[in-house]
Amino acid sequence: MYKVLMFDGGVYRINELYELVEDIGGFVIQKTQVQVQIIVTIVIPEEDLAVIEKKTQELGGKLTEVPLAGTEVAVVAPTLGRHHMPHPVCDIAEHLRRYGAITVVMGLARGKGRQTAQISADEKSTIEEYDAAVFVLGNFEDCITKEKVRLFENIEIPVIVACGPDIAQLPGCEALVTGVCRKVERMRRAEEIAKLEEIAEALGKIVEVRRRRVDEDPLFVHPAEMKQRIESLEAVQKSLRPAPIVLHLDGLRVKIPFEEWKDQLAGIDIFGHRLGDVSRISGARIGGSTIIKILTKSEVDARDSKGTASTA
Amino acid sequence: MKIEVEGTEKYGTDSYVDLFNGILLDVGLTRMVEAVRFVIKPSDPLFLISIRTRKAPGLVKVSDIADISATEGGTMVTIRDETYAPTLISVLWQKYGRERVDQLTRLELFCRGVPEKEILDLGLDPGEELKSKILDAIWRLLPEGFKIRHNISSERITTVAATEHEMKKEWIEMAEKIHSEMEVD
Repeated sequence: MYKVLMFDGGVYRINELYELVEDIGGFVIQKTQVQVQIIVTIVIPEEDLAVIEKKTQELGGKLTEVPLAGTEVAVVAPTLGRHHMPHPVCDIAEHLRRYGAITVVMGLARGKGRQTAQISADEKSTIEEYDAAVFVLGNFEDCITKEKVRLFENIEIPVIVACGPDIAQLPGCEALVTGVCRKVERMRRAEEIAKLEEIAEALGKIVEVRRRRVDEDPLFVHPAEMKQRIESLEAVQKSLRPAPIVLHLDGLRVKIPFEEWKDQLAGIDIFGHRLGDVSRISGARIGGSTIIKILTKSEVDARDSKGTASTA
Repeated sequence: MKIEVEGTEKYGTDSYVDLFNGILLDVGLTRMVEAVRFVIKPSDPLFLISIRTRKAPGLVKVSDIADISATEGGTMVTIRDETYAPTLISVLWQKYGRERVDQLTRLELFCRGVPEKEILDLGLDPGEELKSKILDAIWRLLPEGFKIRHNISSERITTVAATEHEMKKEWIEMAEKIHSEMEVD
């Protein structure tokens, strides 16, 4: 299985690290250079961790694990109004970014109220484009257990619920963190930061399980490798959006319009296959983006053998 | 500040009391609120809040808080008591419009074409401002989906009962009872 790590060090002899990462079959996801300091996010095979650790020591850098790197997470609030939105939601989103996740804050159109709170099919499908979702709910047990549970039922990605009252369990969610409620100020006290850590930890566990599950039937290429190929596309290079390519556990979000670029994307060469043949490409619900779901090795093999059989 | 809470869920009611204290701090009303009563029953659903404020200072004449002098083309107002500055400026802007009231420095205003006597006769009512701030605090606190509201207001007490679908008669009676109890307390 692959591991995502962050190297923090100097630029001197940094090429040696890049070469080593390439040699062991890993990839560089991101480089951020500030004068002579550089932060590099890398993906490497788990079994080669010791080699990278040794090289980091040699270069005088620091290596930290970023458990949520390579994931995109939706933090969902019942509405974007000030009653739900500002502090806990933003603090959770910001805290998850520290662990490497790309987070998106989302408010439901009709999520306010108790019995009147609802989620549309369109909103559910939008949320399902992400790797996981964190639902931030309110202060009353009665309201959450009887009504708000409907908001995240039948969502096909892992859901974490953060709410105020001490509820033992909720149906439809994979993790529950209590003690996070409406606030008029930022979560900066020690006990509040501990809650944010708890959410990040719960998400880390869920992501780990999903990574292992993906690994049981591995993808044809790792999303980071596919990212490197797509980066050469002109539209991606010219894109002014922050992080034009976002990694998912089983694919990527490329922030260029689907209709306009689907053919060029499908034509990119991936180990002798067309990208369109080793993945499912579709338009994202949020306009101007394309979602790529990479097929597994077995799916590609099955396709290939079917193709060969029909040619014969 | 005296706080009384009646509710079906301890965590929810306690957190709403904390939230209310935070909101009061934000709008700068901590010292002006004398007593609060909450009735929070999410299963009904009912959210009721009744707030009693301290007595607001009476009507203040502009001549008591500022120096006023007639000059060529209008009246010059120099504010002496800074606490009234925002209220005075907004009253003058409301009455004469922004184009006729120039803010020369932080505490100096020039009212173009306004006779000195008119400004001398003006009064500021801090009670009105207090009331609007109390309402602001209540709107911030009320659960967002509780749009059906019943308001009762007297000189120092504001009571708001809010629910989601239909305001029941017994809740209105309860609000009235609590409102009158707050008057007596």
